[in-house]
Amino acid sequence: MASISSSLSTALQSLMADTGALQITNNNIANANTPGYSREVPEFQEVPPAPNATLSIGGGVVLEGFQSVRDELVNSQIQQETASQSAANAQLSSLQQIQPTFTTSTEDIGTEMSALFSSISTLSTSPTSSADRQAVLTAGSNLADAFNTASNVLSAQQAALNQPVTGDVSQINQLSQQIAALNPQVTTLTQTGQDGGSLEDQRDELLQNLSALTTVSITQTAEGPTVTTGNGTPLVVGNESFALSTTTGSDGMQHVLDSQGNDITASLTGGDLGGSIQTRDRTIPGLSNQLDTLANQFATAFNAAQAKGYDQNGAAGTNFFTVPATVSGSAAAISVALTDPAKIAASSDGVPGSNGNLANLSAVQTATLPSGATPAAAYSDLVYQVGSITENANAESNATAASLLQLNNQLNSVSGVSVDEEAANLITYQTAYQAAARVVTTVQALFAVTLAMGTAAAE
Amino acid sequence: MRVTSMVPDVEYAVQQSQQNLSTALQQLSTGLRVNQPSDNPVASASMVISLAQSANVDQYTTNVTTVSGQLQTSDNAIAAVITSLNSAITLATAAPSSTITAANRQAIAAQVAGVLQNVISQANSSYQGSFLFAGSASSGAPFVAASTAYTSQNGSLTASSPLEAGSVTTVSDAATGQTFTYTAAAGDTVGDLESAVSAAVTAGTLSSGTSATINSSGELAISSATGLVASSTDSTLGLVSASGTALTNAYAYVGNSTVNKVQVGDSTSVATNIPGNQLFTSGTNVIGSLTTLINAIQSGSDSGIAAASNGISTAIDYLSEQRIPLDSTISRLSDQESYLSQETLTLTTQQTALVGADLATAATNLSQAELANSAVLAAASKVLPQTLLNYLAPG
Repeated sequence: MASISSSLSTALQSLMADTGALQITNNNIANANTPGYSREVPEFQEVPPAPNATLSIGGGVVLEGFQSVRDELVNSQIQQETASQSAANAQLSSLQQIQPTFTTSTEDIGTEMSALFSSISTLSTSPTSSADRQAVLTAGSNLADAFNTASNVLSAQQAALNQPVTGDVSQINQLSQQIAALNPQVTTLTQTGQDGGSLEDQRDELLQNLSALTTVSITQTAEGPTVTTGNGTPLVVGNESFALSTTTGSDGMQHVLDSQGNDITASLTGGDLGGSIQTRDRTIPGLSNQLDTLANQFATAFNAAQAKGYDQNGAAGTNFFTVPATVSGSAAAISVALTDPAKIAASSDGVPGSNGNLANLSAVQTATLPSGATPAAAYSDLVYQVGSITENANAESNATAASLLQLNNQLNSVSGVSVDEEAANLITYQTAYQAAARVVTTVQALFAVTLAMGTAAAE
Repeated sequence: MRVTSMVPDVEYAVQQSQQNLSTALQQLSTGLRVNQPSDNPVASASMVISLAQSANVDQYTTNVTTVSGQLQTSDNAIAAVITSLNSAITLATAAPSSTITAANRQAIAAQVAGVLQNVISQANSSYQGSFLFAGSASSGAPFVAASTAYTSQNGSLTASSPLEAGSVTTVSDAATGQTFTYTAAAGDTVGDLESAVSAAVTAGTLSSGTSATINSSGELAISSATGLVASSTDSTLGLVSASGTALTNAYAYVGNSTVNKVQVGDSTSVATNIPGNQLFTSGTNVIGSLTTLINAIQSGSDSGIAAASNGISTAIDYLSEQRIPLDSTISRLSDQESYLSQETLTLTTQQTALVGADLATAATNLSQAELANSAVLAAASKVLPQTLLNYLAPG
């Protein structure tokens, strides 16, 4: 049978439950802008009627706890997209600094190459003119400078990417340690049936930060997530983290080693680290090789044409350009070998005024180099490569940004805090609290009536 | 779908619209749709080729101007020579001994010598510092007054004195108008050079009576009564210089036969010069004919005057023939200039199509981007402050 005191007890439980719910709402509002925070919802539980009660009236409400609202699938997709976006951004950042060198200007390789051939053509109209001969040497020197500059820009960018490699590895190690430290704490909570709450939010945020550095693979185990790099190198297993390290390789570049000392540089993909390594070890060397090939083959062809003729003094033409025998490093080392304008082999028969061999020098412009293209076409291809790679990185960056926006919206629709919703909850719990308090007031009045029974006041 | 916050969407939309605004502004301010290779890699690569073609076309145009000037000057010089030769024929008509006195003949001979000087002056014309009719040896006057003998600087030579391998000795004959060139092979001696000169006389390259002999001082002397000019790069002989009598009306050609060509199109080259020996000494010997005429007038040989006059008439016809290809080249260059001008226009149009921005489109794009940006910002200002809390009564 129901009693006044049991009503008071029910009202008291209700007050406590509503206070708890208000506290949870308060926490949600407080963390509305906290990165990685998952909104929490109170878990009310109806209290069953007392078993021996003759009249079965519910026993009120109790706040069992709260539940963080998560979507692990979307979280995992966000991690993957973050890795892709960071990689694209790392590549884009370097390529945007390389691109101006290959943009048409007054001193890019294409323009300087044209200027060299124009100067040769001018010389053909007055082969003994020392001013025109000097102009050819100057144009040759400008072309060599353009090759040197382009090569230096590529090398400088390549060397600069060592910095993010060491920085990223250091950050990966810190994040791995923090995740390993959080794992046992979260496990303890979940094993006792509690929600991981803020600890789990922190761990998710750390995993997301880790994804921005390199692609990681996450396997859930009873001891918490096992985190490995894309190629399976362990970073976190339970409460243990495995540090990566960097060392200077024989190529002068920073290489990444796993905790066993194995070189895993080539297998790292995604994230800022993967993107930096991709640009440093594959993209830039590819462009450098193309540039070196062009410089080497162009200089060799030009020297061969020069050797077919005779200089102003009737001597056989000597090398116009100095270029290494091997392709590698040609663009950085190419220079004009001649200092005396008279040494330009314009003559085809040894007579100073002949311009016969200038036709051979001019023909280099339209000759097919061993690479299978003319010098201008080979340079044009290089410009296309630079443009295309940069455009792809830019497109990838934009696409992942749009995709991440969608995924984050998706995640926020599940886990995000809506201030409007919380404001409504606030009113709901406030009203419920007020109602429960009214019950207490009512019970108090009833108690007063009961205590006054039989007294003068009651009469 | 449950929407919790519009901030990320607003930020993304603002960023996108500002990026579009920046792109539109850049295109309008630079006049280019493609400002860097990544804007359009294919167009950027095509631009490299197109710009190289433009640079070539610009250079061809400059070459056309230079070569046209050079050829026009050559043509004018040849025309002047023809005029001079006509005046020589007129003078020759008045020179026969039967009609005038010896003194008058000498005066006419002197006038013809003046004509010869004019012809030599035209044959030694230069353009921008280069002698037009010297072949590729354009740094020196091609027609030089001949001497009866040239002698080596070095003495104590014998027939067995070795010559420097690769050295070149030339003897230009005023009478034949031809040049004998001797390039010493390894092991050749001064005696070999002497024999070669003798063989050249037999072959007709050098005029009869020309000889190369070692004189009493042991120097190599190359001599001819009709006049020659000699030179050598041989260190055994040393500098070869004039030692005989300077002849008044005899000139030897010291240029060469090289014809230089200049490219005025991707597959078009034109000859920029006609060697002087081809014009004035080979075949019909213009200078030789005048020298002969002067000699005939001076000696009062009517038959000689008539023969020399005929020779000069033939020379006029020959020079007129030589002008035909020259005028044809000048005309071709004029056509080529028009073609190159058209080509420049075509390439410019191509380049504009590849990377240029249409100003009207660019301005419209900018206007649209501005409008879109304003709309995004206005929408953001409406959406962001929207919250339930604004509508709840305080307290």
